[in-house]
Amino acid sequence: MQISSEEIIFLIGLTSLIFLIAPLFLIIYIVSYNRKKKKHQEEKLLLQKTYENELLKTQVEVQEQTLKTIAYDLHDNIGQLLSITTITLSSINLDNKEKAAEKLAFIDDLTNRSIKEVKALSRMLHAEELVNRGLAAAIEFELEWLKRSDKFKIHFEKENFGAFSSDSDKETIVFRLFQEIINNIIQHARATEIFITLEQIENAFKLIIRDNGAGFNVEETLKRKTGMGLHNITKRAAMIGGIASITSTIGSGSEIVVTISY
Amino acid sequence: MIFITINTGSELICFLAALIFLIKDKDPAWKLFIPYLLLTCITEFTGVYMNRIAHIYNYPLYNAFLLFECGINSYIFYNLYKPYKKTGKWLIVWYCAFIVMFIAELFSTHFTTFVSTTATIMSVVFVFASLYFYYLKLMDENFEPLMFSAPFWWISGVLFFYFGSTACNVFFDYLAKSAIIIHGHSIRYYIFNLLNVILYSFWSYAFLCRYLQRRSFSS
Repeated sequence: MQISSEEIIFLIGLTSLIFLIAPLFLIIYIVSYNRKKKKHQEEKLLLQKTYENELLKTQVEVQEQTLKTIAYDLHDNIGQLLSITTITLSSINLDNKEKAAEKLAFIDDLTNRSIKEVKALSRMLHAEELVNRGLAAAIEFELEWLKRSDKFKIHFEKENFGAFSSDSDKETIVFRLFQEIINNIIQHARATEIFITLEQIENAFKLIIRDNGAGFNVEETLKRKTGMGLHNITKRAAMIGGIASITSTIGSGSEIVVTISY
Repeated sequence: MIFITINTGSELICFLAALIFLIKDKDPAWKLFIPYLLLTCITEFTGVYMNRIAHIYNYPLYNAFLLFECGINSYIFYNLYKPYKKTGKWLIVWYCAFIVMFIAELFSTHFTTFVSTTATIMSVVFVFASLYFYYLKLMDENFEPLMFSAPFWWISGVLFFYFGSTACNVFFDYLAKSAIIIHGHSIRYYIFNLLNVILYSFWSYAFLCRYLQRRSFSS
């Protein structure tokens, strides 16, 4: 069967039309992909903003925690020392020189202890700077403070722990996670011992905090409004690409493992 | 009025758009469109004169124009790739290969016809060059509003024109010899009218985008 010239020309026309439709669809595809790219970029920006807001909140919380500790210390420790100093000073009888000398020596001791406490507080005010010097140093410092209360027996281990991250923002968030977990133990756990382990495993960093307190039902607590603190811990860990796993048995304490890959 | 056809009309409008929107453009590659489109208009008017008034073959004119068409379009492609990739070496290699093909075809046809094989190969290369630009755009992480992107619309015009003309180029010999005429013109004439309108509309819009972009930067 021979194809006529008209048919060939019709075919050429049709082919040209098809060849025009193809770029049209290609352009539509490119434009719609580009729109998706825009949406993705906006989402990325929003995520970045949320991260920055959360980081700012974390930094404020670290500062608040420092100020709270300072307030407690001023009231319970330095305040007490100075009160005793005032009382001792007012009770000095200059006629009884022997007793007066004894009391003066006691006042001297009290004053020296007060100076030491004030110096320690001043170091506490630079807690943020401490985080910049390293996560382990900041945790150690916080634990030292906790040890002074004599309420808890603290066990702290650093296994193969060098530098965790060059990103100080990440370290601030981990430090805040540590503070939140410790706060929860102090407020709710009724524990006597706290075990803290910092370790570096392959491409990841682990912070393990265990206590021998009352324990709690993890699932139920997470469902209740009181579980906001735990939600906060898991949310913040996820924000820096980590996981916070919480396990607890009623009567035998709880354990929180924060794993962050880098 | 014999000189004003759909082809020459669309080219003239595009030349005026280039003159208005690109005269103050600082990029020499974009400014090059003004002399290039002027040359296109002159070629087209001369082609019409040779064909309709002097009644002589105009293919030597279009053969010569093909050298400019290939050179300038390739240079523009090279410039548009610049933010993503350095393709200077490829530009030189391609243009040398094109010249060799062009001369070889001229000699093989004894200078008696249009160098359709070279033009077809050039069209295919420009289609691939356009697709490669799209690929670079897809891979680029940065977002750019494509609706107002001058390079995107310039390249889209090129893709429409050269991809759409493939069928005509492939059947060039057949269409040249074919006596089939619709309302006094061959099918090739109608297809190229449509392609030219698309090409020059896209280019005019690209020049407008370029102008708006320049103004938004300067203000």
